[in-house]
Amino acid sequence: MTERAADGGARYAGARVHRVEDDRLLTGRGTFVDDVSLPGMLHACFVRSPIARAAIQRIDTSAALALPGVRFVFTAADLNPGVREQWHTTIGKEMPETPRPPLAEGEVRFVGDPVALVVAESRYLAEDAAELVEVDYEPLPAVVDYTEAEHAKALVHESHGSNVIAQLTTVPASAFDEVFASAAHVASETIYQQAYAPVPIEGRGLVVDYSSVTGDLTIHASTQTPHEVRLFCSRLLGMPEERVRVVTRDTGGGFGQKVMVQRDEMCLMLAGPVVGAPLKWVEDRRENLLAAGKSRQEHAAVKMAFDADGAIQAAYIDFVQDCGAYPTPWPLFPAAAVGTFFPGPYRVPRGGFAVKTLYTNTVGRAPYRGPWQFESLAREVLLDIAARQMHVDPAELRRRNLLRRDELPYKNPNGMNYDNISPLETFEQALAMLDYAKFRAEQAEARSAGRYLGVGLANYVEASTPGYGVYGTEPATIRIAPTGRITVYVAGGSSGNSIETTVVQLTADALGAKIEDVDTVQGDTAVTGFGAGTAGSRSGSMTAGAVRETAAVLRERILAIAAHELGVAIEDIELADSRASVRAKPAVGVSFKDLAALADAPAGLEASARYTANSPSIWVNATHVCTCEVDVATGRVQLLRYIVSEDCGPMINPNVVEGQIAGGTVQGIGGVLFEHLAYDDDGNPVATTFMDYLLPTAAEVPAIEFGHIETPSPGPGGYKGVGEGGAIGAPPAVVNAVADALSPFGVKITRLPLGPSQIVALLDR
Amino acid sequence: MKPAPFEYHAPNTVADAANLLAELGDGAKVLSGGQSLVPMLALRLAVFEHLVDIGRIAELSGIERRNGALWIGAGTTQATVEASALVASEVPLLAVATPLIGHFQIRSRGTLGGSIAHADPAAEYPAVALALDATMEVVSPRGRRTIEARDFFAGLWSTSMEPDELLVGVSFPIWGGRSGFAVEEFARRHGDFAIAGAAIGIELDAVDRIRRCTLGLIGLGSTPERARTVEAELAGRPVTDVEPDEVGRLVMAALPSVPSDLHGSAAYRKRVGAAMVARAWTTAAAEARHG
Repeated sequence: MTERAADGGARYAGARVHRVEDDRLLTGRGTFVDDVSLPGMLHACFVRSPIARAAIQRIDTSAALALPGVRFVFTAADLNPGVREQWHTTIGKEMPETPRPPLAEGEVRFVGDPVALVVAESRYLAEDAAELVEVDYEPLPAVVDYTEAEHAKALVHESHGSNVIAQLTTVPASAFDEVFASAAHVASETIYQQAYAPVPIEGRGLVVDYSSVTGDLTIHASTQTPHEVRLFCSRLLGMPEERVRVVTRDTGGGFGQKVMVQRDEMCLMLAGPVVGAPLKWVEDRRENLLAAGKSRQEHAAVKMAFDADGAIQAAYIDFVQDCGAYPTPWPLFPAAAVGTFFPGPYRVPRGGFAVKTLYTNTVGRAPYRGPWQFESLAREVLLDIAARQMHVDPAELRRRNLLRRDELPYKNPNGMNYDNISPLETFEQALAMLDYAKFRAEQAEARSAGRYLGVGLANYVEASTPGYGVYGTEPATIRIAPTGRITVYVAGGSSGNSIETTVVQLTADALGAKIEDVDTVQGDTAVTGFGAGTAGSRSGSMTAGAVRETAAVLRERILAIAAHELGVAIEDIELADSRASVRAKPAVGVSFKDLAALADAPAGLEASARYTANSPSIWVNATHVCTCEVDVATGRVQLLRYIVSEDCGPMINPNVVEGQIAGGTVQGIGGVLFEHLAYDDDGNPVATTFMDYLLPTAAEVPAIEFGHIETPSPGPGGYKGVGEGGAIGAPPAVVNAVADALSPFGVKITRLPLGPSQIVALLDR
Repeated sequence: MKPAPFEYHAPNTVADAANLLAELGDGAKVLSGGQSLVPMLALRLAVFEHLVDIGRIAELSGIERRNGALWIGAGTTQATVEASALVASEVPLLAVATPLIGHFQIRSRGTLGGSIAHADPAAEYPAVALALDATMEVVSPRGRRTIEARDFFAGLWSTSMEPDELLVGVSFPIWGGRSGFAVEEFARRHGDFAIAGAAIGIELDAVDRIRRCTLGLIGLGSTPERARTVEAELAGRPVTDVEPDEVGRLVMAALPSVPSDLHGSAAYRKRVGAAMVARAWTTAAAEARHG
């Protein structure tokens, strides 16, 4: 990686550098929204609908307002008329949007729908007052089961005229009738995945601080996208964008849920300038599980045709997705991605897809790490079912179909043009790490002793780092102060994904600085340029590009000043250890500190530049392999080993890469075995605390073993995005492991979740 | 998730606490370790005008032999029970049940009396108390009385204590002879409330006949349960003739009604319950035979 190698070499990139965030986070000195406390600050609490669908007959706020310490109770009539525009920069003004009133207007559409906003002197008082807001509801028939939504009489949004939000068919399934009819083998199943959610450790939250003196609005936000929050808010309120500043210090996880501005957040933006004091809302866990958005909850009829040797002849997916009442963003394109990526990293000569997105009276769909991971779940589960039907080992069936390097670039039948990936290599590496043959022998031995072990395999290829629109650009500013401290300013949006460590490492390398001399400022829109934040596994590549472009400008200036100062040619200067020295005589040199003073004390040396992505996306691939034991008496699944081999190109920091993979993998494991954002038949959520919404803990997850294959991308440093893959690869690997363990019972798994009671039900069938 | 307003009281003696409870009536609730009560208050699933915190009452803590039984003060933390050599030697069933309560952080705050007075059918201590025929000692301004475990658990989260009565201690009978004890439970995750579980004690005579056994059940009813009819059937039989799976089947057949929720239907709970009974029986029987 020549571009990585500054004069001093890539000293930090690739190394397991300790995270610069850890000192403050591990000692309780992080600054999350709830840590922001401003003089006179007021506290907000929502009154939320207890009914899945109802007409709001009357809202009486008088008792709540009479409670001492309560300042305001807002309803839709107060806040909603304040909306000027409500569209996301990353989506664009012209894209269709689902209706999103800040507070429910006339009708509530899910349990948790915000109906009123109480503002009081403490959160305690606000909650007391919320109980005193009287709302008369006239219950209406609710659309709860999305599989019945299309033909339900009740409409979630009357104005839309249908519960089908949007649908798209590239090629009808019938186009492949002949291929399937003449195929040696056909596997065809309907596969269903339940609702689960990102569940960040910190819920959503805002402190909205409006100054009536200056007209400035400052928002402290828990977000992955501080600049989006700023622009969205300026449009929402019709306020010039330069008057709005967003400050994000630490964000306790987002996983997609904090990419968009949701209705609750709009309410705070609208109320903030009215209440005459800073206004805080910090979502509690119950609200997060009720109203922050659900993900997954979808099914598809999938089928694959194989020739006599097991080579895939065609693959088709007919996909249906529940989007709840208020999905954000408009769901068709994320849903369509399930179709386009369905063929995966395999040789699939023919294929097509149909997708349909539906409204229901449940919480709206929100993005979640690997928003279209269902494509991998459906494909990999189907491949295992096909292998069993064909009496072929599932590893062998995959091996016969995985793309080889010499076939790249490869265009899948849905138009995706894969390149710079290594699916066969990650697959073989993961199997070797397991010792697949040895495991099969252990499995056979265990079975004869009445114990049921299984192994699950899954491959995927993912488009990371979107290079289009506002996603395809990222700025940085780097400043060397006369003190010698180097500060790199980037847009930010880190929600645990180590962007601070990443840019500090890369800046130190790019300038030839000591890492301990480098600081970073992120997440404050007043001092950083627009960037689209943490989304689409883009931060690694995009911030690397921003640092590269900016450091290049700064290096030229450092070299020029140093050459002048030292009386040698620019080509004779090398930069290392925060010092410019003469190549042949390392003792002769000048420190960055002195250079910065020379350049322009007290301003120091500073440069800004913007990187523009050079490809529409950066492909990344991985293989997940896990083994498990199933207790057939109780249905308990104990995961034994969990192996991930991924190819994210060169690693900037293996600790960060492996942390990202591990976190996503645990979310995927949770999605299969534990988590279920369930509703009853009347549309009441039944998992609104951590007593019922079960996240996997350290006790349920085995140590994750990592393998790495390194195929550089065409992007900066050859880096790729690695933020989402764990959550994509894990679900099918776990499902396939359980199915493999239970194969002596003839069990076929096509429905999630796989809690112990569901497993027992499969065994009893 | 902020509790509704309440007034906080922290008496220093049992007498003061009992007087407060009598004076404050239905609007008062005893706060012990707070591991169940505080989340319920925060979610406003429970609202009380007064909380009477018994955490400062020294006479509520302690583990000692009294009248041939092991007396444990209601305010004794689960962590203290877990670490007690006396509990391990005299009431092994309590000792093996304790590590299954929540997580160690919960046990360091949660108390024995709090768990028993809360009377959650899926909790360990109520089932162990019922299985061992423990005696609850309660105090009110009207005086002190004892309640047998079989009369104590009245329903889901409810007991036969009067509103002005405070649980001050629990006496656990000490089993002698060739006995073995085991608790097996199945929870979705480490530390969760059990979907189903069994707390079993077996005492054998010199020739391995069952002198007595107790079959306590966790999470399989609206109160902790005990399969007394099955205990009677098994008494006197050679333990080597008893198939653990048979015990599991018999116990499940004897259950009146089994709850159902998101994590498992009644039928599923029975299946798991049978497996837990069989496993606990196997362990307890082996311990009784081989020590």
